Amino acid sequence: MSSSDRRRGVALFVVLVVVLGACSSAGASSSPAASAPMSASPTASAAAVSPSPSPSAAFPITLTDDEGTSVEVAAEPERIVSLTPATTEILFALGAGDRIVATDDGSDYPPEAVALQDVATYASVDVEKVVALEPDLVVAGGLGFTPAESITKLRDLKIPVVVIYAPSVDGVDKDIELLGSATGTTPKATSLTSAMRSDMAAVSAAVAGQSPKPRVFYDVGYDDATGAIYAPAEDSFLAEMVTMAGGDVITTGDPNTYEIPLEKLIEKDPQLIILGTNPFYSPTPDAVAKRRGWDAFTAVRNGDIKPVHDTEITRPGPRLPIGLRTLVSAIWPDVALSAAP
Amino acid sequence: MAAGALARDVEAGGLAAWVRARPLVVGLVVVVALLLTLVLGVGLGSVRVAPAETFAVILSRVFDIDIGVTITPATDVIVWDLRLPRVLTAMLIGCGLAVAGATFQGLLRNPLADPYVLGTASGAAVGAAIAVLLPIQLVVVEFGLLHGLAFAGALASAWLVFRLGGMGGAGGLTRLLLTGYAVGSVLAAVLTMAMYVSGAELRQIFSFLLGGLGGSSWVRLIVAAPLIIGSSLLIMARGRSLDGMLLGDAAAGHLGIDVSRERGILLALASMATAAAVAISGLIGFVGLVVPHVVRLLVGPAAHRVLPISALAGAALLSAADLGARLVGDVPVGVVMALLGSPFFLVLLHRSRSGYEL
Repeated sequence: MSSSDRRRGVALFVVLVVVLGACSSAGASSSPAASAPMSASPTASAAAVSPSPSPSAAFPITLTDDEGTSVEVAAEPERIVSLTPATTEILFALGAGDRIVATDDGSDYPPEAVALQDVATYASVDVEKVVALEPDLVVAGGLGFTPAESITKLRDLKIPVVVIYAPSVDGVDKDIELLGSATGTTPKATSLTSAMRSDMAAVSAAVAGQSPKPRVFYDVGYDDATGAIYAPAEDSFLAEMVTMAGGDVITTGDPNTYEIPLEKLIEKDPQLIILGTNPFYSPTPDAVAKRRGWDAFTAVRNGDIKPVHDTEITRPGPRLPIGLRTLVSAIWPDVALSAAP
Repeated sequence: MAAGALARDVEAGGLAAWVRARPLVVGLVVVVALLLTLVLGVGLGSVRVAPAETFAVILSRVFDIDIGVTITPATDVIVWDLRLPRVLTAMLIGCGLAVAGATFQGLLRNPLADPYVLGTASGAAVGAAIAVLLPIQLVVVEFGLLHGLAFAGALASAWLVFRLGGMGGAGGLTRLLLTGYAVGSVLAAVLTMAMYVSGAELRQIFSFLLGGLGGSSWVRLIVAAPLIIGSSLLIMARGRSLDGMLLGDAAAGHLGIDVSRERGILLALASMATAAAVAISGLIGFVGLVVPHVVRLLVGPAAHRVLPISALAGAALLSAADLGARLVGDVPVGVVMALLGSPFFLVLLHRSRSGYEL
């Protein structure tokens, strides 16, 4: 293989990092992996028996993770390794944060998570470090967020690995409940998801009657050198969020495509550009307006470019209701929302 | 070795000649380097394991001897299931690629030939990409579709190049090389397309292209070892043919070598070693191209020296580079190897005043 091919490979990989990094594992495509059939039994029984989770009652438990793999968790996990920012947030929200012994370097919320040892980066998992921590549960990211090779390796070493990947907002609820079962915090998980569900339904209902819905382009990333524009994929998590927030979302038109050609975007003519900013991508609205060809958009001509903090919007975790509220205030600033619960 | 004499030789610019006359010394140095990388590779890693514990794990696992050092299950797994198979796999792959590289360079009389010259790399990569894109999870004793298709892809492309390139007489070598380039280009285009449509699976394809030893395990090692070691030994047994062909096809014919038959066998063996290496560790470059050159610079071109010393040196280099990669934080091993190896190679090239030909 020639070096130019390899360079092309590197370029493609950079694109992937930008896109996936921006989505913070929000995942965006129809994956061959079946979405998780939930294991039902512990949910009902544990919730009914007592409000404080009784240890050992639900364990050992066999779960089906988001890739369809059966995972047996022998006892209530005391040493958890969380390999994605979203699962770290979920575990903390479930009250299992004090049982996390290590995370990946992207886990930045809640603040307690930052201090935890990092055993993975975006590029790789340090299997040796994970093994040395003697975890009784590893929570990994699907859709390639955690390298498949590392997951296989850990499973070969008899460490239970639950792979989490939410293709949709509903999927996040399922993931939270799945991790609830895995960590013996099912009552907390069900109360959390029902609160999230009702809050998001209420926010969504508040803008449901609004019309006409503006054509919203959620700017995931932009390559100044090539002019490549990264956008929500069709049917993606992010597209669903924008739709729930009362926007007419502009997508790439394909579940597996993360880039939208400028011509197509001009044809779609966004009326509102939402700039998803994070530590790796934070252009100013002025810089966005000056991008070559972008003055063709109604949004740019009217100055409707709104930066938002994208972590809560794209990270499939317990802060999604906050993300949804952020989106609604960007799209429908005049709609008054009830205070967050 | 007398240090004074050595120093005088160096002053006189005769180090290369001194070394060249003593291939055993080079062999010995390489063996020591190999043992050193074995010890360091098993002893060091991202987690600190005391030497006594490492030793205890190995003794208890290999000889069932308990030396009274307490070993935690985690330490046992780290040393025995993670480090040892990884170090040994690095050595196996380094050996196979270096021997294959030396063989291709000799056969094709081309200093830029490497184990991937017959389109093997692109073939393996396309196989791996197809495996990644197919929504099938198939695992047979730790070997997934990716390993199988990478292996098959590498062999198939080598076979195709060999068939299309023909093994005719004059001009055959150029034709073979160019056929390899052309087939490789087609496969690279297929690969690029596969990467383009792969979406989130891109990362898996990319990590195959970078190559790495993170997936090493005993089972994979044990399956690949006979293929790589067997091919390498068979190639070494045919060192005389390789020497003959370096002189040119006509001269080799005069020496009584059945050139087209021998070339076919050697290409098949080298392709087999390459395919087995690629299937378990992805595309690792550099070692197959540069190690044989370094060895030739040190001990001269005779195959009976170049092949075994390349095998050992390739093993030592790749395991050392992998150790470096692990210690830095799992950066791609090819990066470490090229960064550390290239300057060394340049110095050697610069020093070789006698000139250097294949």
